[in-house]
Amino acid sequence: MIQTLYLAWQYLSFHRLKTAILVTSITLITYLPTGLRVLVQQSSDQLTARAESTPLIVGAKGSPLELVLNTLYFRSEYPEPMKFSEVKRIRETGLASAIPMYIRFHSRGTPIVGTSFDYFGFRSLKVAKGRPLATLGECVLGSRVAASLGLEPGDHLISSPESVFDLAGVYPLKMRVVGTLTFSNTADDDAIFVDLKTAWVIEGLGHGHQDMAKPEAAGGVLKVEGNKVVANASVVQYSEITEDNIDSFHFHGDLSEYPITAVVAVPPAAKSSALLQGRFESADLMIQIVRPTGVMNDLLDTILTVQQFVVAGAIIVGAATLSSVILVFMLSLRLRRREIETMFKIGGSRLTVGLLMASEIIGVLVIGVVLAGGLTLITRAFGAVVIRAVLRM
Amino acid sequence: MITRLFRSGLLALVIAVFGASCGEDGTSDQSIGGQPLTDAKLSVYVVNYPLAYFTERIGGSLVDVQFPAPGDQDPAFWSPDASAITRFQEADIILLNGASYAKWVDRVTLPASKLVDTSASFKDQYIIMPDAVVHTHGPGGEHAHGDMAFTTWLDFKLATRQAEAVFEALQKARPDETERFQAGLDSLRTDLESLDQALIAFGKETTDTPLLGSHPVYQYLARAYDLNLESVHFEPDEAPSAHQLSELQDILEEHPAAWMLWEGDPAEETVAILEELGISSMVFDPCANVPESGDFLSVMRENVESLGGIVALANQE
Repeated sequence: MIQTLYLAWQYLSFHRLKTAILVTSITLITYLPTGLRVLVQQSSDQLTARAESTPLIVGAKGSPLELVLNTLYFRSEYPEPMKFSEVKRIRETGLASAIPMYIRFHSRGTPIVGTSFDYFGFRSLKVAKGRPLATLGECVLGSRVAASLGLEPGDHLISSPESVFDLAGVYPLKMRVVGTLTFSNTADDDAIFVDLKTAWVIEGLGHGHQDMAKPEAAGGVLKVEGNKVVANASVVQYSEITEDNIDSFHFHGDLSEYPITAVVAVPPAAKSSALLQGRFESADLMIQIVRPTGVMNDLLDTILTVQQFVVAGAIIVGAATLSSVILVFMLSLRLRRREIETMFKIGGSRLTVGLLMASEIIGVLVIGVVLAGGLTLITRAFGAVVIRAVLRM
Repeated sequence: MITRLFRSGLLALVIAVFGASCGEDGTSDQSIGGQPLTDAKLSVYVVNYPLAYFTERIGGSLVDVQFPAPGDQDPAFWSPDASAITRFQEADIILLNGASYAKWVDRVTLPASKLVDTSASFKDQYIIMPDAVVHTHGPGGEHAHGDMAFTTWLDFKLATRQAEAVFEALQKARPDETERFQAGLDSLRTDLESLDQALIAFGKETTDTPLLGSHPVYQYLARAYDLNLESVHFEPDEAPSAHQLSELQDILEEHPAAWMLWEGDPAEETVAILEELGISSMVFDPCANVPESGDFLSVMRENVESLGGIVALANQE
């Protein structure tokens, strides 16, 4: 038997090119559907896990998918804003705790997530280096952001203008990095976290400037009427919040009117969840409340449909390739007729010759399947990294 | 629509794949927020001493009240450093006075789920200071760095409502201890009501008596008890400047007060200057910070007794 396997191996080694083509064909036929399935399964698990850990999302009327993707993954389009007063409205129902989210701005291509301190507890996020957010103007970095930007506590990060053509817009805010988060294997690793009020400062709704009553601000004062001071745009506004100027930072108007993109509502029980959904679905046409799991399941159905098309295509291509492989083997046997006759003439039995041929075919199949299995394992471990690298190119 | 859905699907696929790229990091690190309540004492952080006192009276041995402002600073204008903010973040309950008291609260990151605004139930009764500077610049329009009177607890009816807010917060955190909290609240309410009654009586007897406040901290006291009180900006440990005295004399022309209320003992020099103007000094301590001796109730009783002296003198005259 060993001699038969030895001869088969020598044959495959000698015809390297033919063997390589056959092995590649078998590998691809096997790998394409299984690798795709692994990727989709990973995606599905991730989407479901993040959505399942987020009971309800409240946002302005619009695309539920955009709202969920923006709130959970900090991607997608910037959804229609709603008023901060909705947070209070949810809290006052007593049916859920409410975590405001304002995901609109970026810094160096990374989303800036404005939220409240409760978000970190809700997501069980931990500080790896430095400390949590404490005051206005500070930021905490997700682990991948910290690694990719090479930033550590004590460094600074500047918010990006929303549009390069917005010359009259607000000044970018120089934020102080006070901490980095541990790796959580979620979208939180790819975000910059700031206090909600810092996000409002980035938007220009809050700012710090010279004390208008002090002599050094006199150059910017246009007129004083009683207790009313009118100043021009030359008043020095601070682009960084420091210990020295933080007391000058303030917000104009009623904070309850300020914008947020969503509220993560966390009801303590299913009953509270149902009651809260009922109140929002019936009471206000401008606000929607969605269950992320429902939205994600709809999305997964779409992804699975796409996957089924791809798998069906792969199976058809695979079948065609398999037919070609079979044809190659049959032609190979025909071409080797004289070689087979020689084996019979030198005393080889029919069984031995059959085993030799079978060993060659099985060898090619086994090598192809093993390679496909290896590729699938690699896909399971590193597929996401490879796709990310390709997309970033 | 189909294209949009397909794009969103692909985006979600990519996003999810991004999230799945690596293994777990087992670092054990500092947790942020959200620690569950245990059977240990409730950790309650407060922004001023009256709230600390109310909480101790209501919560008793079930609470660990922390008031981190230094004793020599006015808690309304004190700002905590990062480590103090971290301790606030780790508390079970954070009691705020509301009415713009402790403006640092607006500039720090605190867990909203733990914040309790003890004056939220009477926001419509806040007193807005009439002389706040309004200014206009840039696209933000007209705005004021407004000034709102914040010593709400000097109206003892409002103080009672703040105490009730403290009770509700404690009860919500420890529903099993409602009876003990209720007993504490009832006892405190009785004390606050007696102070309230005493001041109502004082107000009735001195409705027309002009009074001065050395600092604009007595607005709620004056409104609640119908006191005819005007305020200046004198500091207890500094003699008034010529400009301040000039302003005082302007006020005295319309408001011939014979008494000035002080937050703390004024400097002897100041007392002498005021005596020359026919103004006697007396201390009415708002007790925003921990008193050197006694507690909130004893300080307030002393305040009421001091005011009684005004009535006695007025009756003699």
